[in-house]
Amino acid sequence: MKNKLLQTTKYLKDKGVDYADCRFVSTKSESLSVDHDGVEGMSRNLDVGVGIRVLANGAWGFAATADITEASLKKTANQALSIAKASAITTKEKVVLAKQKVAKDHYRTPFKKDPFEISTEEKINLLSQACKILKDKKQIRTTNGQMTFHKIKKLFVSTEGAVIEQDLMESGAGIEVVASNGKESQRRSYPNSFGGDFATRGYEFIESMNLPDHAERIREEAIELLTADSCPDEITTVILGGPLLALQVHESCGHPTELDRALGTEISLAGGSFMTPDKLNKLKYGSDIVNIYADATTKGGLGTFGYDDEGVKARRIPLIKKGKFVGYLSSRETAPVIGRKSSGAMRADGWNRLPLVRMVNVNLEPGSWELDDLIKDTKKGIFFDLNKSWSIDDRRLNFQFGSECAWEIKNGKLGRMFKNPVYTGITPEFWNSCDAICNKNHWHVWGLPNCGKGEPMQTAHVAHGTAPARFRNVRVGVVK
Amino acid sequence: MIGEKKLLKKLEAILGVSKADHTEITFIGSNSSLTRYANSQIHQNVAENNHTVHFKTVVGNKIGVATTNSMSTSDLKQTLNDSIEIAKQQPENPHFPGLSKPAKYKTLNTFDEATAKCSAKDRANIVKRIIAESDAAKFTVAGSLATSHGEIAIINSNGVQAYQPTTSASVICIPMSDTSSGYTSDMSRKISDIDFDSIAKIAISKCDLSQNPKQVEPDTYEVILEPPAVAEMMEWLNYVSFGSKPYERGMSFLSGKEGKKITSDQITIYDNALSAKSVAFPFDMEGSPKKKVYFVKNGIAGGPVYDRLAALKSGKKSTGHAVTPDESEGGAFGMNIHVAPGNAKRSEMIKKVKKGILVTRFHYINGMIDPGNSVLTGMTRDGTFWIENGEIQYGIKNLRFTDSVMKAFKSVKAISKETSRVESWWSAVGCMNCPTIHLGKFRFSGKTEH
Repeated sequence: MKNKLLQTTKYLKDKGVDYADCRFVSTKSESLSVDHDGVEGMSRNLDVGVGIRVLANGAWGFAATADITEASLKKTANQALSIAKASAITTKEKVVLAKQKVAKDHYRTPFKKDPFEISTEEKINLLSQACKILKDKKQIRTTNGQMTFHKIKKLFVSTEGAVIEQDLMESGAGIEVVASNGKESQRRSYPNSFGGDFATRGYEFIESMNLPDHAERIREEAIELLTADSCPDEITTVILGGPLLALQVHESCGHPTELDRALGTEISLAGGSFMTPDKLNKLKYGSDIVNIYADATTKGGLGTFGYDDEGVKARRIPLIKKGKFVGYLSSRETAPVIGRKSSGAMRADGWNRLPLVRMVNVNLEPGSWELDDLIKDTKKGIFFDLNKSWSIDDRRLNFQFGSECAWEIKNGKLGRMFKNPVYTGITPEFWNSCDAICNKNHWHVWGLPNCGKGEPMQTAHVAHGTAPARFRNVRVGVVK
Repeated sequence: MIGEKKLLKKLEAILGVSKADHTEITFIGSNSSLTRYANSQIHQNVAENNHTVHFKTVVGNKIGVATTNSMSTSDLKQTLNDSIEIAKQQPENPHFPGLSKPAKYKTLNTFDEATAKCSAKDRANIVKRIIAESDAAKFTVAGSLATSHGEIAIINSNGVQAYQPTTSASVICIPMSDTSSGYTSDMSRKISDIDFDSIAKIAISKCDLSQNPKQVEPDTYEVILEPPAVAEMMEWLNYVSFGSKPYERGMSFLSGKEGKKITSDQITIYDNALSAKSVAFPFDMEGSPKKKVYFVKNGIAGGPVYDRLAALKSGKKSTGHAVTPDESEGGAFGMNIHVAPGNAKRSEMIKKVKKGILVTRFHYINGMIDPGNSVLTGMTRDGTFWIENGEIQYGIKNLRFTDSVMKAFKSVKAISKETSRVESWWSAVGCMNCPTIHLGKFRFSGKTEH
């Protein structure tokens, strides 16, 4: 394959393009879904192809094909070139790429157990064991356990001479239960909602979750939710659990610090960003204890890799430092616009998609609190658990998130449970109200495998390291 | 495009060597192109040639699924054998409904030669016209223009042979001033159905009218919801309530309410893939014929859509809403959601509003808060206006709504005669078709700064 890509980039170089790169991606996937009745579905998928990106006359063209013969790659290269020339019809400002060290390297995800070598029987047994416990009460309507694995082989070759191979491994799993009393239904999940937790690790990651050990707890909580009070509508103190805070970081810091979005090139779908370049190094985004950074080298993070999809080596970049907005997720095209170098965040969700500025692992630095001490220190408030709903405006300012359940905090103790809890706010006001973050003992990197962006739609696999944190004067309730 | 004869022959040859008790092959081939523009120039311009081949094999009552995007005979045979191996490793599935049997499909014209032949240069020239219109109005503009052509085929060992070629074209246009933005979109099987000049003009006029927006405090207001706003709501209701899975879980607002009055008589919501108002398609991914399904008919709750498995579990028949086998654990899914039109004209609907808000579209709706009560939340975007004494007065800053849609739909005052197709996030084989709706009460719960 390497020779085919080298030939294709040489062909384009000889055609006089400004720049071109070719990406071969082969993704082997397996997904398994089980309920208390048996296997709901199991499938394996092999997806292979090449994407060719061409910069000519200062404009981009991209073409991708599943046919990886030499003849097809030449045809696809010509197609990408003709698309670039068509793009140039409207060019007002030519694309300039930041200079980049040319790499020749091979990166592999470190893992202990290859999930594709683990027997189907073992995987089904683990999920079935958990589902059996989940179903063990009459109020339980449905149960589910699922696992997903991806083995990804990438080869990147550019006209600048880069040749980068990567072998990535992703694993994820989770369980969920729905309880019903005939009038309403409530769901609880473990270790996170919407499919569980995900990482660039092997099957050892699945084993570490101890799924059956948590089945009884979430079953009982789902049943308890059926008779729980609704969340009051008030302004109060909230503590967000780690997985929910991961989504808060994702939506209100990760997305608005994507430089392409801040420069207006995502308007047609996902919108813009209130964190525009004129606010860089000026905006007091959060309180002094808020430090958020993008780090594609975080061990095991779902957004961890060796190089991004335009050949930039994985790195750590501060986004928020002592509460101040100091950095962006960026690419070789967007970074020079603000006089910086790429942050190495250009990622495509497959061979057939154009790389875009995406999140990597966007992490909130841990603070100093033990969770028990933080709850004890809170006189009145609400603890929000796993995410259930999410919505944010097209500049990433007004957000509203809901969780599967919440608990009242009264005089430093967790009390009654609330159902359908929701909190809402304005991004910088919210982060400036953060007065406590739990320590590294409570810090975990949560993998989110479903970050949507771009046209055609792309789904990125990203992660967020978080520990529970406290926020003051937050509006909760909202749903009448 | 491989073409019906050649494609079916190739798939039949693979089917013929299967050692499974039953085998089904679902083929989806596509050539899709998308030109994206922002800051008044094209910044992303892509094309893709791809195909996926799904194998569902049955050994006894054990089912295996494997997928490849390679069309080489050896890879296809390998994937077929992988699916058989997966089936053998599984426990018996007591709910297996069997594969579908041959059926008659409605004859539909879903392919347009001109759309299939639309080139990158053609698309760039259309975008150039939109940019020129926006330049003239002194607005920057963003959006996208997509065209695609492809073919879908399903064959199985029961003798099903379904084939359909498709094309589609869609456009989004968002002009922007320093303080406002506007929006229009359209889609069709034929690019010639789309009036690009009109698209640009309407979006520009919305952007112009909403400049220097005023702040309105969140409260319950009368609203006029234009088709993209209604479609965004329907898209989420479809996701959380119209499919077989949420219904089975008891999490759909339809669960347990079949036959009960849940909205105004004026509300009828249904899935119909066979309508010319949709981007029509005759069969689902199991080869079952598409049927019309009412979720709400004249205010009375109906039921969900079904695939063969969900139908068997519920004692119903498939409604023709199966998804591809690799995603089938999520259950059946609606792909062509319609809200039935009324008799009103949009201009007359606005005239009848004493004090209220016109919403062009919503952004980032979410329906997971309390799906059993059809509670949605989301932000307005790209043209939100204050109406007073029957006239649009000025643009207002965006607002967040949080409300039960079925509760809000009890206050319907009028529904427009005209409907619009709105592209769906979820599907390449369907779309939303919605009218403008005038509601007496709609709850806005928050505000933002723009």
